[in-house]
Amino acid sequence: MYSETLLDHFRTPRNVGMMRSPDAVGESEDPSCGDLARFYLRIEGDRVREARFQTYGCGPSIAASSIATELVRDRPVDHLGELTPEAVEAALGGLPEDRRHAATMVVDALRGALRHYRTGGPRETSHA
Amino acid sequence: MRRVYLDHNASTPVHPDVLAAMLPYFSERFGNASSIHGFGREARDGIDAARETIAGLLRVTPEEIVFTSGGTESDNLAVKGVAGARPGGHVVTTQVEHHAVLRTCQALEQAGHAVTYLPVDGEGLVDPDDVRRALRPDTVLISIQTANSETGTMMPIDEIGRIAVERGIPLHVDAVQTFGKLPVSLHEPGIALMSMSSHKIYGPKGIGALYIRKGTRMVSVQHGGDHERRRRAGTENVPAIVGFGKAVELRARHMVEEAGRVSALRDRLWEGVRRAVPDVRLNGHPTRRLPGTLNMSFRGLEAESLILGLDLKGIGVSAGSACTSGSLEPSYVITAMGVPTDWALGAVRSSLGAGTSVEDIDYVLDVLPAAVQRIRALSPAGAA
Repeated sequence: MYSETLLDHFRTPRNVGMMRSPDAVGESEDPSCGDLARFYLRIEGDRVREARFQTYGCGPSIAASSIATELVRDRPVDHLGELTPEAVEAALGGLPEDRRHAATMVVDALRGALRHYRTGGPRETSHA
Repeated sequence: MRRVYLDHNASTPVHPDVLAAMLPYFSERFGNASSIHGFGREARDGIDAARETIAGLLRVTPEEIVFTSGGTESDNLAVKGVAGARPGGHVVTTQVEHHAVLRTCQALEQAGHAVTYLPVDGEGLVDPDDVRRALRPDTVLISIQTANSETGTMMPIDEIGRIAVERGIPLHVDAVQTFGKLPVSLHEPGIALMSMSSHKIYGPKGIGALYIRKGTRMVSVQHGGDHERRRRAGTENVPAIVGFGKAVELRARHMVEEAGRVSALRDRLWEGVRRAVPDVRLNGHPTRRLPGTLNMSFRGLEAESLILGLDLKGIGVSAGSACTSGSLEPSYVITAMGVPTDWALGAVRSSLGAGTSVEDIDYVLDVLPAAVQRIRALSPAGAA
């Protein structure tokens, strides 16, 4: 049902936990599902130097959050706006159709972090 | 890695004696039981013996047992069969029935029947007084499970049976989770129909039975030949019926002793989890419960992630809820009991059985607290 990559990221999630004084925070909640993902970013120059996450949800949501922190690290900040759910899903080695919301939620949360960084305003929770 | 199967309410492994009893009926005694020649008679003998075993355990006559393809078909036959004999009649059931009853009742509503879905209390029990109050002059059937598959809570069937007799309304019980696990006797007139399944009691899948008390008015749901005294058309699945009969024979011998052993293991699991894990609650009735069933809610995590975490350690448990299509519905059974959503989303069921050992339970107790802690630590709420 789940790929080895997904299981690996579920078993040993990368970059878990909150960050002190992050440069950007983004959160996304799927109200129909109860899942919640929050990302913290450290940004230097125009690049994401560190990404961390906290997620409440099913196995795929946790794994998608974990792999997303690797996908964005050391990439230009603008890359956050281009990251798609399909790219997260592909990196995970695929998601069952009824678990695709995991990738969508993670991407929404990262885009929220990008908006937070650009506006410098209060962080927001978007709803996937 | 150790593998521990704690999902016996979903299905059970076929007992080796059951498999051995079935094998000759695939190749040597393969005849059609409706045929009058010797090949057919051999198959018929196998069916007759199984029917007598089941009837004997229930203390009813063999003619009152109809073989079906399983619990779902038995429920469909009972509910549609009785309601179909009285078009437009009213049916009383509960909100926590298996989908085989709930969705059948919903189909009846589409066909012009009225259905009352009774609530349950915080421990999953339906109030017999609610059953009494729900009855109407046009009520044609009461359908209530003997025990809930998710929580194991056992319904007050004796009291409901007395009400059914008083009012002269047939009572159907979905006994898929209790048949072969706990003694039952149908010689009292309360129960008119009872659904049974084979694969919950170490028999093969794809076979079940419906007890239909003599004189119960109903129509056929499946039409065809004269099989099963014209109550269920279709060539009999002889090897499966023989296996079902053997499974029942074995359970009849061992179930009382087994129920005690499994209850003790279940309680060991609960006590161990309760000591080691904060923010956990038991869903279901503390004592009126199936011997092997333990439904626990862990606050602050989603059941799917814990099930996956335990699966990676070789442990198989389940949840009534499922995060599908981006919509996580907490289990309708747990919700009907009034359990708050943040607890209901973390409801996990362990169901123990014949293969479960003390070592299995202790292994789960070694693994589970850390698995819960790990998943809670990933969550924004857990880390806050």
